[in-house]
Amino acid sequence: MSFVANRLRDWVPAAAFLVLGLVAWQVLVSVLSIQRFLLPKPTQIASAFWNERHSLWSAGWFTFQEAVGGFVIGSAVAILVGLVLARWKPLRSAVMPYAIAANAVPIIAFAPITNAWFSPLSKSSKIAIAAVLCFFPVLVNTIRGLTSVRPESIELMRSYAAGEIEIFRRVRVPAALPYIFTALKVASVLAMIGAIVGEYFGGSIEALGVQIKNSASLFQFETAWAAILVACLLGIAFYLAVALAERIVTRWQPTPGRGE
Amino acid sequence: MRGAGRALLFVLVLAVLWGLWEGYRWVGIKAGITRPFPVNDTTMPHIHEIFAQLFKPSRANGPMLIHVLLKSALFTAKEAATGFVLGGIIGFGLAVGLAHSRLLERGLLPYMVASQTIPILAIAPMVVVWLGSLNSPAWFSVAVIAAYLTFFPVAINSLRGLKSADPKALELMRSYAAGRWRILWKLRVPASLPYLFSALRVAAAGSVVGAIVGELPSSIQDGLGGAILNFAQYYSFQPKNLWATNIVAAALGIVFFVAVVVAERFVVRRAPENVA
Repeated sequence: MSFVANRLRDWVPAAAFLVLGLVAWQVLVSVLSIQRFLLPKPTQIASAFWNERHSLWSAGWFTFQEAVGGFVIGSAVAILVGLVLARWKPLRSAVMPYAIAANAVPIIAFAPITNAWFSPLSKSSKIAIAAVLCFFPVLVNTIRGLTSVRPESIELMRSYAAGEIEIFRRVRVPAALPYIFTALKVASVLAMIGAIVGEYFGGSIEALGVQIKNSASLFQFETAWAAILVACLLGIAFYLAVALAERIVTRWQPTPGRGE
Repeated sequence: MRGAGRALLFVLVLAVLWGLWEGYRWVGIKAGITRPFPVNDTTMPHIHEIFAQLFKPSRANGPMLIHVLLKSALFTAKEAATGFVLGGIIGFGLAVGLAHSRLLERGLLPYMVASQTIPILAIAPMVVVWLGSLNSPAWFSVAVIAAYLTFFPVAINSLRGLKSADPKALELMRSYAAGRWRILWKLRVPASLPYLFSALRVAAAGSVVGAIVGELPSSIQDGLGGAILNFAQYYSFQPKNLWATNIVAAALGIVFFVAVVVAERFVVRRAPENVA
């Protein structure tokens, strides 16, 4: 019972802000007579969203596949490389500065190059840029997580005569998981952005990024906003899916931040 | 000695990366690799040629490419820096508001998270039109887009930092009848500084990405985003121009990052938790 009450207390303010925001948007657009090309009313966007739901969702699905493909490839390779680097300290200290520097580089600017490497119309060009975008944050956090173990825990395991593999499985991996999942959540958003920006530099007509670009240049702003809404919903769903996976995998750990 | 060792390692890793690139290129061309992508002069130019391209004239009798690109980088840096400051202030202000009100935190935080899933590229043209109708210059619209990518990490981390103040110290302040603002200023803000700076490092990179991406659909030609869009169209003839532009963009991102790290050294050293 109190669980339900807690849930309500968590979500009611958020829902109230959403409703208030939408109403204010609708009213302000009418009252201030803001032109349609500046900002359509929420109701206009909603009807565009409904009328063109088939083409929007199939475009969204196309782009989502690119994002997920890049996310899976980039994160998997990053975790594998992280596992190797965390094992050999000299190698790690040599590579880590570059990985951190790469996080400061606007990698998205390389999207036209992956478009030139693979055909711009193919999914693989966007998968490639999304994978590169996901790679560095996941790599850095995997290494940080695997090396964040408290020395006492390892000593305790050693005193139980645990082997390296056992220590790795029971101490290092559990310690690294929160770090890895933090990076995976960031990567899920980056993958979506990578796919859409990659499509901006040229992509299949079925892709969401291309549809947003085209409908904006044809002054179909309701459709453009509806397509943006689709991108948001997919991005949020992706993020929540990773967060859910985190909940399931790191069940034993107390959730931080609740009730201070 | 340690410094020399580090420098040696740095050079060594660069040499390995260079060797990997040139080695793959050599094998790729010899063996005719076509998967995952065909290897040739267009897809993988020689690295030394990419750098040499920087010092060649950008067009017949024109200035060197690096001059053109540095000018563009300066323009983009102006947008990114303005966006960084704007986003930082908004992010920290939001965090202060959310730290003082559970209702605001519950009501707004989910949407702040959701806001980052909006593809920034898609709303960039709208932002340019909105602010353009208020007679603001186009570069400022791009700065606003950069601020949009900056405010989020700052807000999230500052909120965590403001809440990380030691509860005992909080009680002590309250027992001295200190007001909200005094507690904020003397206790919460210093406690939040390390968190703030780790967010600013992320935000520094984000502001450069925001500035470059924001330039793409806004038809602003003066910055790096415009240069990338321009050279991307001629990639099959002049691939080295695009690579050279991306090197300058990468350098700009790293300069922003290093600037924040240096600032952090100066500011956080004085924060109480680093003194104790």
